[in-house]
Amino acid sequence: MRASRWPVLIWSICFAGALWLAATELSIHSDLSDLLPEGTTNTQRLLLTQVRSGLAGRLILVAIEGAEPDELARLSRDLSKRLQGNAQIDFVGNGAQGLSSDEQQLLFRSRYFLSSTLQADTFSVDSLRGALEKRLDDLRSPLGLLIKEYIPSDPTGEFLEILQSWSEWEAPAKHREVWMSADLQRALLVVQTKAAGFDAEPQAAIQQHIQAVFQQLRKDSSSARLLLSGPGVFAVEIQQTIEQEIWWLSVTASLLVVVFLCVTYRSVTLMVLSLIPLTSGILAGLVAVNGWFGFVHGITLGFGITLLGVVDDYPIHLFSHLTRKESAQTTMRAIWPTMRLGIVTTAIGFSSLLLAGFPALAQLGLFAVAGLGTAAVVTRWVLPVCIPAGFVPREIRPDLGRFVDGLPKARIVVPVAVILATIVLIWSDTPLWQEDLESLSPLSADKKELDQHLRQELGAPDVRDLFVVEGTSVEALLMKAEAMMPRLEQLREGRALSGYDIVSRYLPSHHLQQERLKALPDREVLERNLDAAQKGLPFMPGLFAPFVAAVDEARSLPFIDRDTFRGTTLGMKLESLLFSHQDEWLAIVPLRGVLDRTQLATAAASWGNTSVSYVDLKEESNRLMRAYRNRMMQLVGWGTIAITVSLAVGLGSITRLGPVLAPIGCALIVVVAVLKGSGESISLFHVATFLLVIGLGLDYSLFFNRREGTEIERAKTVFGLLVCSTTTILVFGLLAFSKIPVLHAIGLTAACGSLCCLLFSGLMAQREATDA
Amino acid sequence: MMCGIARISPFFLLGGLLLAGTVAAAENASSRGDDVTGAWTVEQVVASLKEEREPAVPFEEATHSSLLSAPLIVRGILRFTPPSRLEKEVLEPYHERYVVEGDLVTFESERKRLKKSISLGDYPGLRGFVEAFRAGFTGDAAQLKQMYETALDGNREQWTLRLRPRDPAGRSMVEDIVFSGSEGRISSIVIHAADGDRSVMTLRRGAAK
Repeated sequence: MRASRWPVLIWSICFAGALWLAATELSIHSDLSDLLPEGTTNTQRLLLTQVRSGLAGRLILVAIEGAEPDELARLSRDLSKRLQGNAQIDFVGNGAQGLSSDEQQLLFRSRYFLSSTLQADTFSVDSLRGALEKRLDDLRSPLGLLIKEYIPSDPTGEFLEILQSWSEWEAPAKHREVWMSADLQRALLVVQTKAAGFDAEPQAAIQQHIQAVFQQLRKDSSSARLLLSGPGVFAVEIQQTIEQEIWWLSVTASLLVVVFLCVTYRSVTLMVLSLIPLTSGILAGLVAVNGWFGFVHGITLGFGITLLGVVDDYPIHLFSHLTRKESAQTTMRAIWPTMRLGIVTTAIGFSSLLLAGFPALAQLGLFAVAGLGTAAVVTRWVLPVCIPAGFVPREIRPDLGRFVDGLPKARIVVPVAVILATIVLIWSDTPLWQEDLESLSPLSADKKELDQHLRQELGAPDVRDLFVVEGTSVEALLMKAEAMMPRLEQLREGRALSGYDIVSRYLPSHHLQQERLKALPDREVLERNLDAAQKGLPFMPGLFAPFVAAVDEARSLPFIDRDTFRGTTLGMKLESLLFSHQDEWLAIVPLRGVLDRTQLATAAASWGNTSVSYVDLKEESNRLMRAYRNRMMQLVGWGTIAITVSLAVGLGSITRLGPVLAPIGCALIVVVAVLKGSGESISLFHVATFLLVIGLGLDYSLFFNRREGTEIERAKTVFGLLVCSTTTILVFGLLAFSKIPVLHAIGLTAACGSLCCLLFSGLMAQREATDA
Repeated sequence: MMCGIARISPFFLLGGLLLAGTVAAAENASSRGDDVTGAWTVEQVVASLKEEREPAVPFEEATHSSLLSAPLIVRGILRFTPPSRLEKEVLEPYHERYVVEGDLVTFESERKRLKKSISLGDYPGLRGFVEAFRAGFTGDAAQLKQMYETALDGNREQWTLRLRPRDPAGRSMVEDIVFSGSEGRISSIVIHAADGDRSVMTLRRGAAK
């Protein structure tokens, strides 16, 4: 008797240690990007990081609506002014900001490096004559008068040409100097944050700051509203959703299990006893995940709670077999072989999650395997010691066994269900596979819609289609990008896309700058040409002296490079279009209004340049999801084989495999049909759950097929089984109501799956051996 | 865009006058009778402008600039379609067309092979003027006087109305705008830019078809 106390002692120490670890070390994240895969190729990884931490991720789209246009404009101006000073904000745009005067001067001085229209011919007599005549037209026209001050030093109009080519990105309409939607219903702003878009905490702080400033600016009587969108806003919202979900899932799941056990067994002792393996399992899962990954994700927590519904199977099996005649230890030893087999198969089921290589699933898998293992061990060696001598749960009515024995007479239900399922599978319009990475996100459809809408109104790129150009140095990269520009222009004219942005629009290669310098004439030549061109035109004599001086001076100016624009709004733009990644340089060419994606891919391929590739980010991420899903399918295959083998070994017979496996196969078919019929496409997460369903189902099937003597014993088995499966179905069913797609998918699949497995196992059970 | 507006075209000012006149006339109709024999007032100028407005008026505009040794001349037709569409069509020495409709200015040039629209909102100076006129001439001239120092000289047969922006931003671009006319007919609009440049627009009534 002394010796049997040892397990309890060891367990107490471990439990206390784990509790201490959990209390001090546990770090909980709820950032969705922690769960995203990293990509399998270099480009994929790069793009995913860019999308997450790059410029696009750092933009918050802001709209003010619900007031008169003039009031909206005032709010937009004041808001932008107030936000400008915040240290966490890089830039606020509302249309009122042009280039700063420093930037203008910089551009003006560098115009002969930057102008794309500059040619050798630009300074010939004929070209100059044409340019001067245009300037006269400008002076006569009401709009062109804006440029009067630039005429003496830039009569060929290079500076304006540069500004015009840079403003190609369609800006929104304006009202009272600030961006507005075309119908003047919304003032539009963009805020660029310092923090990355996925970094929910600083993002939340910035968004609260924007809201607070807006509330101050808004007059009390005003009905004006502030709308925020963008990756950062989504990150914050997802975090909140996840936190809320975990809260209600945990509370509801615990309540459900506790209440259900209380109602079925009407025993507080039993309740308390079953908490021993339950809490041990969950604690072990937490500590294992935190130790291995360095953090526990909120989704894992939410999922971990469902473990309550699985792990409680073990103590319940034990309780339902207790008799007054034998000790709990003896009973435990008697049912252990069957229970052990169930544990092994369930663990194999969960380890499929662990091995999928998808971070979100790996955490869930590890949590489950560690939790299950611990709970099983605790049930086997600790729990029996804790059960008071002579404790027996309420009497079970023996006719339950008879009812179950009668079930196989209705086994016709199974083939009918399978046939119905097959029909659903064939006829349902729902696509079989869900491949969208977006499906991971718990955002509501109207949030996504608002984002799309604001993006359209602001003319902001929707970060889906890109060309990626690679180069070994900035210079090499810029030359490649320059070579691409006429091709992009062709695509635009051919209406394959409606616009693009490319680094070489703003930053010419040194090679090109050199070429442009060569086009500049000597002072004497320029003066002679200018004199000839000016003949008969009413310009003041000597007016263009600054022009001659500027052309002369250009030759001695340093070349423009990335550093020239550092710290300016233009510099920020360059950073987002051109950056280094490991040893190479990459330029990203965001595309707008892409109509025909295959055409772009073919076009990029036909350029015969391996350093330029077309990337459809959506397709790329879908491909990633597909790759993971295929891997998952293989895992499910191998897992099934592993389970079958361990079954065959455990049962010591191959012929007994059939009756055990058949109900589960049928159940899976029905589950897929239910999913598809209810309009859900199968995603990676559903597939991952299949193996779990197999694991759980085997457990039921094994117990139904267990050869047991007396009717009362059979009634006990059945009763225990019903309780186990009900708690499992309850918690997974609860999970199916989650707004988090991963949890929803797992919950729905597992709940349906366990229900079908239970039903079919009962219907197809074979007990001829004992009926005799 | 970069430098603000060095000078304002008479086109926009006239637009403002014409647009404003439509409203002003309606609201002043009742009070006009009272003052037939009294002194010639800003209110009466506004009212008369509307009354004698023609749908199309030929004009000649001369631009005098420090950049130029001789003024640049363009000729064309101004058209007004109630309630708010104003068009300036340049016929000589080239073809160009500007249309103001509400907040939108459309610019069309044959020679530059260009057609584009801008929002007055992008040109705060222009907008300020057009709005000042629109607002200033609605009903009483009080609001106009609030935005401009007004000085009316002469009599009903021969008057000049001089407007100086009160707003420092406006003053930094435009020194003053001088309308001359007789009764409800404007004969010339001269704009003196702050930098000394000047634009003179002469209108010839009754010559258009």
